[in-house]
Amino acid sequence: MKMFTLAATTAALMAGAGAAQATDFEFWYGNTGSVETAILAQCDAFNASQSQDKVTCVGQGSYEVSMQKAIAAYRSGNAPVLIQFFDAGTLDLMLSDAVVPVQEILPDVDWANYIDGARAYYETSDGRLFSQPYNASTLLFYTNKTQLAEAGITETPKTWEEIKAAAEKLKAAGHACPFVTDGDTWRVLEQFSARHGLPIASNHNGYDGLDAEYVLNTTFVVQHLTNLVEWRKEGLVRLGVDTKAGKYADAFNAGECAMMEGSSGSYAASAKAFEGKYEVSVDMAPMYEGYERHNTLVGGASIYVMKGHEDAEVAAAKGFLDFLRRPEQQMAFTAATGYVPVTKDVLGAIEASGEADAAKYATAAIGIESMNQPRTEDSRGVRLGFYVQFREVFMEETQKAWNGEPTMQAALDNAKKRGDELLRRFEQTYQGVKLP
Amino acid sequence: MSSPTQALFANRWLPVLLVTPLALLIVIFFYVPIFQAFYWSFFLERPFGGGSIFVGWANFARVLSDPQFWEAGKRTVIFMVIGSSLAVLVPLILAVAADRQLRLSQPARNVLVWPKGVAGASIGVIFAFIFNPFVGILSPLNQWFPGIWAPGIDGTDAFIMLIAAHVWSGIPFNFVILLAGLQSLPRTMHQAAAMDGAGAWRRIFDVQLPLIMPQVFLTLVLEFTESVTSAFALVDTMTKGGPGGSTNLLVYKIYVDGFNGYDLSGAATQTAILMVFVVLLTGAQFAFLGRRINYER
Repeated sequence: MKMFTLAATTAALMAGAGAAQATDFEFWYGNTGSVETAILAQCDAFNASQSQDKVTCVGQGSYEVSMQKAIAAYRSGNAPVLIQFFDAGTLDLMLSDAVVPVQEILPDVDWANYIDGARAYYETSDGRLFSQPYNASTLLFYTNKTQLAEAGITETPKTWEEIKAAAEKLKAAGHACPFVTDGDTWRVLEQFSARHGLPIASNHNGYDGLDAEYVLNTTFVVQHLTNLVEWRKEGLVRLGVDTKAGKYADAFNAGECAMMEGSSGSYAASAKAFEGKYEVSVDMAPMYEGYERHNTLVGGASIYVMKGHEDAEVAAAKGFLDFLRRPEQQMAFTAATGYVPVTKDVLGAIEASGEADAAKYATAAIGIESMNQPRTEDSRGVRLGFYVQFREVFMEETQKAWNGEPTMQAALDNAKKRGDELLRRFEQTYQGVKLP
Repeated sequence: MSSPTQALFANRWLPVLLVTPLALLIVIFFYVPIFQAFYWSFFLERPFGGGSIFVGWANFARVLSDPQFWEAGKRTVIFMVIGSSLAVLVPLILAVAADRQLRLSQPARNVLVWPKGVAGASIGVIFAFIFNPFVGILSPLNQWFPGIWAPGIDGTDAFIMLIAAHVWSGIPFNFVILLAGLQSLPRTMHQAAAMDGAGAWRRIFDVQLPLIMPQVFLTLVLEFTESVTSAFALVDTMTKGGPGGSTNLLVYKIYVDGFNGYDLSGAATQTAILMVFVVLLTGAQFAFLGRRINYER
């Protein structure tokens, strides 16, 4: 009898679902941890908000794995309608011929609502957004205020010169790890170059054509990285691998290290770890004295619409993209993760909520301010082919310099050489294709 | 030789039928991808398909003139020679000891087989913890000499860590094969040698080792070919090819180039080269080493 009831209920439910003509579609994402929880909450909220369409959100464990599977799935005609992908793969997707520009399928949306920093990274040369910015982050400067105060530092350092002085004080006070970094490409090269107004590659970081060449070995980045290596020898800077925690953000969160440059997306984890023990400060990433501050880049990831789907699926996916853009959704996502809202109306909504000073929105205002600094042609973003691979090359070459051999200049010369080979091969692979 | 096997099957199609499922799997998951890799190595292939360009041998010319490829190849050979030799030598010592009826040799025979059940990736995770410079077994070393053991930043340390994990994971299988070889030797040979006044060491080197050469050869061949590819799981979980590319073996480089960097053509070309290398290597082993071993007793 029980079995019969169950079967009947199932049949009834399925009939009901069929009557509503539900369109199921998939959204692939790569995040894990608290961000994944927030993404799944949005998926549930979307499914609960209406009964017509149903999104199935599939976590792939990382951006890279997600893209690997999407490539295989696309080649065999099984790709999801929506896929989230990270900043570095922008050009690979733009030229892939596998995605439809989001502004093309959603022409009526007020795309100008997106802050310029987010638009510049993901838009085509004629100003159309290729993907919808989703979990946007930028680089911020974190300090453990409690530990800094213990060492007699009351003013949060704003420049690298001040960071060095503060680190010396911390060291003198017996602190083993004043400043921690992982030497990651995004942090020490891309964000540093953007806000100091330095190019990474010619053609304005590739925006003006596929025949760009790397120039990172000729800019002030060389001096900065040389400084970091030097400061590590002096005991002022540690790498993530030098710490007990093993990873730079974990080392900061555990109170092992006092200062770090980190993504705004890691704020939630730091705030949670510090609760009841330390006080955290977040500011714009530090500058060198004598350099004018420019914008930092939008990091994190955006959502692409993949080709090869029926109209009903695409329509349903549009509904989901509209849902994600809603101010209350963006605010909830920001509050849960520390990612930065990237539409202007959300900033207004946060102001209006009366909670603008609340800890959960701590990164929103400062992150936007950082991305809204004066822009140069070289701080729009990075539009270079096989750039994901170049990030690996940069890490590999600079790690050698961190270990003492060769010098940072030589390491960056090597990175340029290998990077240019990647760019040439990319150019050759996409012969006759024009940048959109 | 062939008649006993034939007699096992009444129907001549039965063996074919039994082999088919496995053969199908091998074709689908091995021969088809390999064919695809060889095919792609002559094209510039876009990740999402469409617009692949035939470039002839250009991919091979590029890969073969790339110093990164040769360095990864060199690391692969070093890893293969040191890692495989140790992965046979250590089990050989253990097997000889276990065969000598030493105290505890009975439980050791069982315990030493257990690691066979541990997946490569798990071994990597465990060894990364064991060799952690702050909490691992070598951490006291760092307290006496700060910075002497730093696999996270020092390439040599990372390589040593990788080889240690590889050797450990190779112990069970090789141990079983070598011990079986030792136990199949007639005891009369030991007794005869002992009667002639040969001591324990003498008997090991002059009686046991020459007689188990077929087993040693088998384990060496398997180790050499396997070490080229099986190191992947260890590299991926322990070092990700770093620091500074010091543990970036060819098999891992192929993965990173192809799957993280979307350079399908470059990855396919390197796969083709690696494939040919392994085939030649095994051929060479049989040609030069195999001939010297006497399989008859």
